[in-house]
Amino acid sequence: MSLFWSLWIMFLIVLNLGITLFLFVWAPRAKIPVQEDGTTGHVWAHGVLREGLQNLPRWWIFMSATMFVIGFIYLALFPGFGRVKGLLGWTSHGELSANVAANNAKLNEMMKRFSLYPIEQLAHDPAAQQLGRRLFLDNCAACHGREAKGNQRLGAPDLTDNDWLYGGDGKAIFTSIHDGRAGVMPPWASLGEENVKNLAQFVLSLSGSPHNEQQAAAAKPLFATCAACHGPEGKGNQALGAPNLTDKIWLHGGTVEDIETTIRGGRQGQMPAWSPRLTDDQIRVLASYVYSLSHPDHVD
Amino acid sequence: MSYKQFEAIEKHAALLGILTAVMVSLGGLAEITPLFMEAHAVKAPANVKPYDALRLAGRDIYVREGCYLCHSQMIRALAAETQRYGHYSVAEESVYDRPFQWGSKRTGPDLARVGGKYSDRWHEMHLIDPRQVVPQSNMPGYPWLTQAKIDGADIQARMRGLRKLGDPYTDADIASAPDAVKDKTEMQALIAYLQGLGIKNEPAGGLGGSTGPANDGGEP
Repeated sequence: MSLFWSLWIMFLIVLNLGITLFLFVWAPRAKIPVQEDGTTGHVWAHGVLREGLQNLPRWWIFMSATMFVIGFIYLALFPGFGRVKGLLGWTSHGELSANVAANNAKLNEMMKRFSLYPIEQLAHDPAAQQLGRRLFLDNCAACHGREAKGNQRLGAPDLTDNDWLYGGDGKAIFTSIHDGRAGVMPPWASLGEENVKNLAQFVLSLSGSPHNEQQAAAAKPLFATCAACHGPEGKGNQALGAPNLTDKIWLHGGTVEDIETTIRGGRQGQMPAWSPRLTDDQIRVLASYVYSLSHPDHVD
Repeated sequence: MSYKQFEAIEKHAALLGILTAVMVSLGGLAEITPLFMEAHAVKAPANVKPYDALRLAGRDIYVREGCYLCHSQMIRALAAETQRYGHYSVAEESVYDRPFQWGSKRTGPDLARVGGKYSDRWHEMHLIDPRQVVPQSNMPGYPWLTQAKIDGADIQARMRGLRKLGDPYTDADIASAPDAVKDKTEMQALIAYLQGLGIKNEPAGGLGGSTGPANDGGEP
């Protein structure tokens, strides 16, 4: 704040307090001319209303005087009088830092205990699970849903089914959250619409779902291309995040139309990286919560 | 001042009103005027850049659709807020926002640092129909955003206008704007804006340190 505006504020404060002080000092001594009828002679509404003589209530005077004094104490202790910082050196940033530090001190103690256990074992810990659920609802539920059942239209996987695109141990889950994941299925519309339709039937056959035998058989040789990522038996590849096609669990939907759309246009899955938002400790707790979702025996 | 003069004040409503207004405005003159007059002192730090063409278009759509009516872009300096949303908002992050989108009305969550939190696809589904991704949401859908295209010449005009107000757009920035927004829908522009919110704007130093940001607008 520049010196001018600092002085401006000081002037206004002094003016305001000065007027208040003047009223305190002057008002009790003011000579009030009393008329014969015992009023001040101030008359309203053609004589219906006349101003009588009453002292201000004591409680009112006491309260005003107290606030006047508190105003000085406040300006002495806290920033407010222009650029004067106040004796306490208070800042909103300082108060926040102190609050955050107090929170972190409590949290760090808990996190220290958590760090002694592997992520899989943290899934046993009620305190870790309580914290994990909060973090999940605030950060993960928008895509995976409050109950973590995923969202096929978005391509957000179900986290409760113990079927994993990138691996389901604590370390793999931690990495998925920490660094994010980008799943890319290229589009295959160039194969021609007939081949796309046949391939969809073949993909359905992999999981023993109802399908057209003839179409599936026709597409079998084409699957060699798909096998590069999904494996020769369609069991997927966790190193690439290629889904297992044999388990009737569908990332982008399992109807004929869904699968055809997937083959024709490809799919892009994007799990954001959470390392800029969450600490490694928080991600460990979150990973243990996600782990517990598909290992219900671990939750009491 | 004699006691008699109070009679004049008591009896003339206009005089009473004016004098009351003078006394009440003392607070505003002390609290608001200095911040208002010193706004020019808030300078953009090196990492805060003016909006590129697409994000600028997205920002105007954000304002047009009234997103600010339910979403603030102001993280307050309270521990519960900084834990949920990140570093509190400071004035220097918003120097290129005209008008700034701070606000205090939160029906939905604060968006000051929402950039990168969700995928582009999520934003698109969420803006078309929020219930597709968040079943409990009461936010309205904005499906028409996928229809309209951004007009390059219009964005150029806005950039020229902002340059007159002091935003450091170069001739090259303005010349390349039509290419940057070519064939982009309003949806894409809005998502680009949202994905940039709060990214790389955070004041350095974090919350652990004892000093605040270099310039938070004069507030102690």
